[in-house]
Amino acid sequence: MALNVTLKIFRYRPNQPARCDTFDVTVPDAANVLDAIEQAWDKHDRDLMFRHACHHASCGTCAVRINGREKLPCIAPVRDYLDGGKPITIEPLRNFPIVGDLVVDVTGLFQRQEATGFVITRPTEDSLDGKRVDHTQCLAPASAAIVPFNRFENCVECGICLSACPTMAADDKFFGPAGLAAIQREVDKTDDPNARARLLDLADDEQGVWRCHSAWECTEACPQNVNPAEAIMDLRKQITARRFKKLFAR
Amino acid sequence: MGNSSAPHVLVIGAGSTGSATAHDLALRGLRVTVVERGEIASGTTGRNHCLLHSGGRYCVNDKEGATECIEENLILRRIMPHALEMNDGLFVALDEEDYAFKEKFLAGCEECHIPAREISVADALKLEPFLNPNIKAAVQVPDGVFEPWRFCTSFLATAKRNGATIHNFTEVTDLVFQGSAVAGVKVFKHRTGKTETIGADLIVNATGAWAGTVAAMAKVDVPVVPTAGVMVTLGKRFNNMVINRMHKPHDGDIVVPVRNTSIIGTTSWRVTKPDAIEIPQDQIDKMMQAGELLMPVLKEGRQRGVMAVARPLIASANVDARDFSRTFEAFNHRKQGGAAGVITILGGKTTTARGMAEKVSDEVCAELGVTAVCKTRETPLASYRMFYN
Ligand SMILES: Cc1cc2nc3c(=O)[nH]c(=O)nc-3n(C[C@H](O)[C@H](O)[C@H](O)COP(=O)(O)OP(=O)(O)OC[C@H]3O[C@@H](n4cnc5c(N)ncnc54)[C@H](O)[C@@H]3O)c2cc1C
Ligand code: SF4
Repeated sequence: MALNVTLKIFRYRPNQPARCDTFDVTVPDAANVLDAIEQAWDKHDRDLMFRHACHHASCGTCAVRINGREKLPCIAPVRDYLDGGKPITIEPLRNFPIVGDLVVDVTGLFQRQEATGFVITRPTEDSLDGKRVDHTQCLAPASAAIVPFNRFENCVECGICLSACPTMAADDKFFGPAGLAAIQREVDKTDDPNARARLLDLADDEQGVWRCHSAWECTEACPQNVNPAEAIMDLRKQITARRFKKLFAR
Repeated sequence: MGNSSAPHVLVIGAGSTGSATAHDLALRGLRVTVVERGEIASGTTGRNHCLLHSGGRYCVNDKEGATECIEENLILRRIMPHALEMNDGLFVALDEEDYAFKEKFLAGCEECHIPAREISVADALKLEPFLNPNIKAAVQVPDGVFEPWRFCTSFLATAKRNGATIHNFTEVTDLVFQGSAVAGVKVFKHRTGKTETIGADLIVNATGAWAGTVAAMAKVDVPVVPTAGVMVTLGKRFNNMVINRMHKPHDGDIVVPVRNTSIIGTTSWRVTKPDAIEIPQDQIDKMMQAGELLMPVLKEGRQRGVMAVARPLIASANVDARDFSRTFEAFNHRKQGGAAGVITILGGKTTTARGMAEKVSDEVCAELGVTAVCKTRETPLASYRMFYN
């Protein structure tokens, strides 16, 4: 079975007026929106710029807005957007500089992620679908020790939360939900009081946790259930507790 | 860095092969430019199965390939630990025939120096509660999982630190000749819509399944056969370790867990062009059936996506595509009577990208009269995020 859909794709190059182009494509029943975008590129316009790599929600590169909502098109089924033959609108993320068409410049996001020292792997702590597992059974051939299973962090650094964030829209100096969520993860993982203090200092800033207006749009939009909004609330609590502690330690 | 008097090498393609090659050459002090027509890893590398091979999969039928895998696996654990999930793999026997294969499998692991330990069926089921409870035997090996985009950007970030320049969304449309030798490339820059010429002392064609197109621009032939494979990703992760069937590699005999998904793979069929491959439904059905034998729960998993890409396999005469070797080769076209100035690196796997890069960089240095040696085995890579520095 095949689906016939029309894509309305945002087109832009520096120093040229932005426009939308329409492409009719045919994709298999099970296709995701990214497959449809790739078809438009393959069959209609080889100059269409879009980012993609893994096609399974792990690399985070393909994030765009579909009908106005931030999504990873690699896991957004085309059949969810079959609205009586209306075109599916594809636009780049907001709150990032546009490089061309659907491609945005994610440099700022990655520099902030780097500043947090966010390590994208962590020991497995949850069970597989409610079934307990012994997660300390790895061979670790390099060290001959038994080490815990590890897991990539949920955050794929896709930038969706930054695009959905109203604070980010008002002020690009805001550290942003992804970065603050990364800080919270690292605070959670570390036993080192100095590292913890450094991380909390990074978050305890006018452009850090205090800039957030608690719109919860980030949590709503995040495709990986990272819940940056709650992470920000948690950091605020920890920072406030630290202030009290300092106050009474005097 | 980027010694301005050093020879300039232009690498076409930023998949795992081109990215690792850029790093190797930059580390040897050469001037390096990478051009990639799209996003980093948007070719075969991005959409592959993400298995950091221990070599177990090949230890019976392709010992050379298996040895290559375990060597590179151990090196990558050292140089890019943060782009890997290192959770091992489990080879399981489903029937008597698989069980009979076990002795060969264990002997193969030993011969190829792949650490392996047999664990009891009860322990295997404790570690992997969703395994088929009727398995007959289980052997644990150091398979792993990589994140393909971060795999490539880790190499590229390090290359950049050593002076390399990387242009994505920059497509090679033709080669520029000086006499009978290739002296540069013509590129179309999608960002600006402009066509430019980039000169180079040597060109490395690392375009994988697309290598034939670039080679044709140099009026040489490379024996690449794009051979597609399909993978299905699920809405949930069902395994900690990579689950493999203990037998000769087959369709649908491996389930790779990454982040919060399990990826079932894979099949093998010839395609005429490697872009936007159409996926026959029977390929998916065949593979799902085989995957469900390993883990019956997969039947219940929601299919979240289906993807296919083409392997850049090297053809050999009188051999069926399924049995083409998964090894790699560097073709110096001058030595084969073709144009000077281009070397094509073809075949292999993402797991062996560093080794492929070493081989082609040795060839590049020999061609340019450079004596620098490979240092990538012991050089930890920069954070992939430094790609954006
Ligand atoms: C289904 C399948 C599953 C696999 N699973 C695994 C696995 O689990 N583990 C593993 O280790 N290996 C796996 N492999 C093998 C591995 O994916 C490939 O060997 C490897 O990705 C090839 O990398 P490459 O850099 O040579 O090619 P590619 O990644 O395809 O890179 C070539 C690049 O060149 C670019 N390019 C093409 N033409 C031009 C041009 N004219 N100008 C500029 N750029 C251009 C392309 O855009 C592309 O990015 C798998 C392969 C397949 C097909
Ligand atoms: S927190 Fe969620 S939305 Fe934000 S970058 Fe990470 S995965 Fe994307």
